[in-house]
Amino acid sequence: MDVSQYLEIFLDETREHLSSLNTQILNLEQNPEDEDTINEIFRAAHSLKGMAGTMGFKRMQNLTHDMENVFSEIRNGNMKVSSSLIDILFQTLDALEEYTSNIQETADEGTNDNQNIIDMLNEFLNTKGEVAEEKPKKGKGKAAKEAKEEAPAAENAEAAPSGSSDEEKFRQIPIGETEEGVISAALAEGKNVYGFTVYVDENCLLKAARAFLVYKAVEEKGEIILSNPSAQDIEDEKFDFDFSLIVISEHNIDDILSAARAVSEISKVVGAPLDAVAAKAQEKKDEETEEKETAPAKVEQADKGSTAQAPAAKTNKAAAKPVVNRTVRVDIEKLDVLMNLVSELIIAKNSLVSASYTDGVSGASFNEQIEYLESVTTNLHESVMKVRMVPIESVVSKFPRMIRDLSKKLDKKMELYMSGEETELDRTVVDEIGDPLMHLLRNSADHGLESAEVRAQRGKPEVGSIFLDAYQDGNNVVIEVRDDGNGIDVEAVKNKAIERGIITPEQADNMAEKDIINLLFNAGFSTAKVISDVSGRGVGLDVVKSKIEALSGEVEVHSKLGEGSTWTIRLPLTLAIIQALMVVVGGEKYAISLGSIQTIEDVSPDEIKLVQNEEVMTLRGSVIPIVRLDKALGTTSLKGPDDNLVVAVAKKGEKLAGFVVDELIGQQEIVIKSLGKYINKSKIISGATILGDGEVALIIDANALI
Amino acid sequence: MADEVRITNADLIVDEGEKVQYIVIKLGNEQYGIDIKYIDNIVRMQSITRVPHVPEYIKGVINLRGEVIPVLNLRLKMGLEEIEDTKASRIIILKLEQYGLLGFIVDEVREVVTLSEVQIEKVAYDNTDEKQKFVFGVGKTESSLISLLDMNVVCAENGK
Repeated sequence: MDVSQYLEIFLDETREHLSSLNTQILNLEQNPEDEDTINEIFRAAHSLKGMAGTMGFKRMQNLTHDMENVFSEIRNGNMKVSSSLIDILFQTLDALEEYTSNIQETADEGTNDNQNIIDMLNEFLNTKGEVAEEKPKKGKGKAAKEAKEEAPAAENAEAAPSGSSDEEKFRQIPIGETEEGVISAALAEGKNVYGFTVYVDENCLLKAARAFLVYKAVEEKGEIILSNPSAQDIEDEKFDFDFSLIVISEHNIDDILSAARAVSEISKVVGAPLDAVAAKAQEKKDEETEEKETAPAKVEQADKGSTAQAPAAKTNKAAAKPVVNRTVRVDIEKLDVLMNLVSELIIAKNSLVSASYTDGVSGASFNEQIEYLESVTTNLHESVMKVRMVPIESVVSKFPRMIRDLSKKLDKKMELYMSGEETELDRTVVDEIGDPLMHLLRNSADHGLESAEVRAQRGKPEVGSIFLDAYQDGNNVVIEVRDDGNGIDVEAVKNKAIERGIITPEQADNMAEKDIINLLFNAGFSTAKVISDVSGRGVGLDVVKSKIEALSGEVEVHSKLGEGSTWTIRLPLTLAIIQALMVVVGGEKYAISLGSIQTIEDVSPDEIKLVQNEEVMTLRGSVIPIVRLDKALGTTSLKGPDDNLVVAVAKKGEKLAGFVVDELIGQQEIVIKSLGKYINKSKIISGATILGDGEVALIIDANALI
Repeated sequence: MADEVRITNADLIVDEGEKVQYIVIKLGNEQYGIDIKYIDNIVRMQSITRVPHVPEYIKGVINLRGEVIPVLNLRLKMGLEEIEDTKASRIIILKLEQYGLLGFIVDEVREVVTLSEVQIEKVAYDNTDEKQKFVFGVGKTESSLISLLDMNVVCAENGK
């Protein structure tokens, strides 16, 4: 068997463990004495070690092993957590992350031993505390033992391994003559023969994979001579939640037990030396055929026993374990295919709807069915969309650690407050949003927050605050990065822009404050006086902007000098299918995302006024600019100058604008298609869609026009 | 520039073996050949959705089997006069590695010819003739001469 097919599971789990370790170690820094945290870290390190070992990543295994040793000592109260230890631990995590990404790219962990980190960890072990003589080798045995102690504890004090013979199903493996020969030969050679029964967690979804990992772990310690069910059946997942093995090994039984337990989602492993079993088998044999006949029955009985026992075990576990949602890991590509099919279906549905108008197919039942189809496709689309949504937590969870590191590096005190981590976005968006957010946070930490002295002068608390808030707003998700720092110095930006030749001094004089601030998003702009490796290479904000625009989102900044800045990122919930308002302009059909439309107004031409040569209208007391879509789109309205205007009022953040169209067609669900690479991305047109009659209509990006 | 073009196409012909098939199209009175390996489809004229603020030769986008595909007018692209669509007008859909699917409006699609290397005469670069820079060679058949288009060069002039 080959481990490569389990690589993905390994990577996924490693990341989960690493991310949990990151959080827990941060937590530990705040509460160095917290036992739960220490235990949690120990467990995560232990699982990582086991997984890396199983997959044959020795360097990774060694490193986690030493980390585990340290925590084993801390757990025993022999050592205290200090801030220098925390630093070493974070370095360890970084090294582990490096291994992980190497493995992802090349299926190999790389050649970096990270000996310096291992040395530091060991030095820590040797110097801090009375356990100086503790050598890594010994530590390993100890750790294994602890794992053993820990496992039953986690399982809500289940019966001791040797206690219940019901659990030791390996005793019921029918041993054939050849195996018997092998067993006695091994015993004669002074080797140990063990029987094991491995219980896979009942919530486990990839039983075969887990079983395989156990197999692999055990095979490293010894030779598996028999298994029940057979190896083939196990591989084909033809087993319940347990399987039994008979193993010949030179190692002691605890070694093998802990190796098997290190595999995740293994709820329990029981085992015992098998000389007794062998003897029993011998006895059995002596007792002739009668016994042989009952043997299968016995096995069956045992099986029944186990099924009866299972629910009991389940209730036991339910109390001990947090409820885990049953999930399936699905390749994102499969979801893309599904989404495409849903898109096709919606286009087909739209064709049917338009055919029913034009071809005059009518009748109450036909319309009813069409409506039914519409509601089904809409629901289907929503469900598929939801499947693709993941919480942004996976991205933002690494930020507290980053801010901590920045705080040390920049020698500024700061704290990150996050909210709305559970806010969900399309998976593809979540994957892309990490970098822009990181840039903004670094920007706040480096440029935004003042040094401690300046903060003291301004009467601000010594510790700077950075906030990361995410929430859903209609069809958008808003992510805000806020700090209570210096804010943006408009004059400094203006001077810099002039110095860099981005604007002329004359232009600068005529620019509104807001427009000047927006210059920050210009390529090659950085106001940092000192170039640091945190920020200041001038490749930050323009990259942020283009990345977010590539995701059909937008970014805005509000700032008050001396009080802080707020960066607001607005992202569409989904990229593929939207509700749109269909309009006609100059005889052409266009779609406008319904999410941005506030109201539709019927305005008489004399209500349009000119302010600074720009057309505006008054809407419920506020003055809003008017955009003639025919002009913006390079066409001519077919309406006369005296006709009433149809104005679709759209909102972007706080700003409103009215779009003048010729005619409204109505609301429609549309599938967004790209215009292709050949057409240079037009600012106003965000894409195209295929209408029910097969024609293509362009999608107007209202945001770009406000 | 001309040298580079010639080299790449010579390589192509070698890759394709001795003989290469070309689709022969007409623009006005001239015949042009397009390597058949680029051709995805040939469709009749259909309604094209105009896209604002693009160069004149990009006529818009069409729906081909559920995909949105940009359509260029090959006449305009090659510096010729635009003419009214006729019954014979077609949109040739090409698949280019760099741009994906692209449609080209041509006056007429004539036939498929097979030219071997010896039938192709390389042309000298003449920068007085705008459309000449898209042509990498002239294919000679018994009855006619066919200017062979280098479609990557035709498309590459996007910024124009």
